[in-house]
Amino acid sequence: MSSSLIDGKNLSKVYATATGPLVALDDVSFSIEEGEFISLVGPSGCGKSTLLSILGGLEEKFDGTLVLAGKHHDSPRPDLGMMFQTSVLFPWRTVRENVRLPGVILRLDKKEQAKRCDELLDMVGLNGFGDRYPTELSGGMRQRVALARLLAHDPRVLLMDEPFGALDEFTRETMNLELLRIWEKTGKTVIFVTHNIGEAVFLSDRIFVMTPRPGRLEGIVEVDLPRPRKTDVMRDAHFSELVFTIRRMLGVDH
Amino acid sequence: MNMMQSSDEMAASSPAHRETIERFVETERRRQKKKVLANRVLAAGFGVFVLLVWGIATEGGFVHKLIIPSPIDTFWATGRVMSADYFWPNVWVTLQEILWGFAIGLASGTVLGVAVAMFDSVRATIYPYLVALQAPPKIVLAPIFVTWFGFDQPSKIAIAVVMSFFPMFLNTLTGLSSVDPNAVKLMRSLTAGRWKTFRHLLLPNALPIMMAGVKLCWTLAVLGVIVGEFVGASAGIGYLIYAMNFQLDIAGVFALIIILSVFTLVIYQLIEWLESRVVFWKQL
Repeated sequence: MSSSLIDGKNLSKVYATATGPLVALDDVSFSIEEGEFISLVGPSGCGKSTLLSILGGLEEKFDGTLVLAGKHHDSPRPDLGMMFQTSVLFPWRTVRENVRLPGVILRLDKKEQAKRCDELLDMVGLNGFGDRYPTELSGGMRQRVALARLLAHDPRVLLMDEPFGALDEFTRETMNLELLRIWEKTGKTVIFVTHNIGEAVFLSDRIFVMTPRPGRLEGIVEVDLPRPRKTDVMRDAHFSELVFTIRRMLGVDH
Repeated sequence: MNMMQSSDEMAASSPAHRETIERFVETERRRQKKKVLANRVLAAGFGVFVLLVWGIATEGGFVHKLIIPSPIDTFWATGRVMSADYFWPNVWVTLQEILWGFAIGLASGTVLGVAVAMFDSVRATIYPYLVALQAPPKIVLAPIFVTWFGFDQPSKIAIAVVMSFFPMFLNTLTGLSSVDPNAVKLMRSLTAGRWKTFRHLLLPNALPIMMAGVKLCWTLAVLGVIVGEFVGASAGIGYLIYAMNFQLDIAGVFALIIILSVFTLVIYQLIEWLESRVVFWKQL
C-alpha cells in the first residue's frame, strides 16, 4: 500500500526483567524512504537501541508490524549492515581480513570482494593499512575499518548504533564528515542512533526524537538544512533552532 | 580524497628535527637494554645466593647431609641416577602415563567444553554435575583408582585424566562464553549460523583462555601421574622417588625431582611457544 522502504506500525517491545516487565518500546510507528538519513535521538532507556535491534531483525519477538522492501521483516537479512559503538574488529584478523568478514560469511565472490575491500579501505582513508592488525590502530582508525566492513557486502540499509559515541570530539567530527561524504556517494539508507543532538542535526534528513520510560517516539523533526553540509552549518541560526526544538521535546531545557 | 591523515603518517620535516628524534630513540633504547640486563643480573644473583646458602648449610655441617644433601652431592647423584640401568625404563613408564593422561584429559575437556557451551540440552544435562565434581580435590580418588585399575599404567593415566580434565573443560567453556555481545550481534546480523559463528568468532576468541587451560592441564597431568605412582606402582619416576626416600637416598630423590622439574619445564616452555603461535595477536 505504501512505497516506503521501511514501514513500522505500532511497534512495541517488552522485556521480562528481575524487577518485572520493562516496556522498552511503546507503540512506535513511522516510515522511512529509500536513501534517507534518519537519526534516533534520546537519552538512555528511550528504546532507540531496541528499535535499531528490531530493524536489524535481531529481536525475535516484538509486537506490531514491520515491513522492509515490501516484505515482512523479523529476522537478519544480508541487505542490512550493522555498526556499533565499539569497532568489534576481530583481533586475529588483519584489517583487510576484517573488512572481508561479511563476504566470507555470506559467501560472496572472492575476487570481487578483494577489489571492493581495497576500494573501501581507500574510501575510509586507510590505504596501506590492510595488513595491520586492529590492536595496532587508534580508536578512530578502528571505527574507519568498521565503517569499511559495514559497506563490504553492499547493504541497502546501514544500521549504526552510536558508532562514534566512544570517540573524542575532534575525531567524531571528522568521522561525521566522512560518513556524510560516503552517504552522499553511495545513496544508502542510514539509521543512526546517537544521544548527541548536534550530531543528529548535522547528519540527518529527519530525526526521530525518543523519550524514555516507556520508550516512545515523541516526534519527528525535519532537518531542512541545505546539503552538502560542512561544519560551518553549525554556525547557522537554523541549526541551533533545530537543536533547541529537539531539546525542548526531550524536556532537557530547564 | 581523504580529509584526514593519521598522525603517525606525518613525517618529521627538517633533518635537524629528525636527528633529535633519532638521538632520543637511541638513548631510550640503551636505557631499556640496561634495565633488562640489570634485572637478569638480579635474578641470577639471587639464584647463586640460594645455592650458596644451601651449600654452606650442608657442607658446613649445619644440617645433616642425610637430611638435606649438599648441592655437590645432588649433582653427583643426578649423574648416578641417570646412568643407572633402572633409570630409562622407569622414565619411559612415567612419560607414557603423563602423555596419555594429558592427551585424554585435554581432548575430553575440550570436547565437553565445546558441547556444553554450544548445546543448551547438553548444558542442562551434565553441567550441574561437572560443577559439583569440580570443587572437591580429585587427588582423593588416587587410592580408589589404584584399586580399580591396578598397579600398572591405567590407574596413573586415569588419575591424570581426572585431574587435567577440569581446567581444560572450564577454560574451554569460559573462553567460548566470554565473547563481546556486539560481536555476536554482528555475526547474527550477517546471517551467520551456529557453525559459522563458532568457527569465525567463538573459537578464535576462546583460544587465549583455552591455551591457559592447556598449561594447567599439563602441570596437573604430571602431578596426577606422580601422586598415582606414590600411592601404588611397580615402576615410574614417582615409584623411584618413593623407593629412594624409603632407603634414605635423599640425594637420589633430589636428583629425580630436578630431572622431573626440568622435563616438565621444557614441555611447558614448548606449550608457551605454541601458545605464542596460536594466539599471536595477544603479543601485538
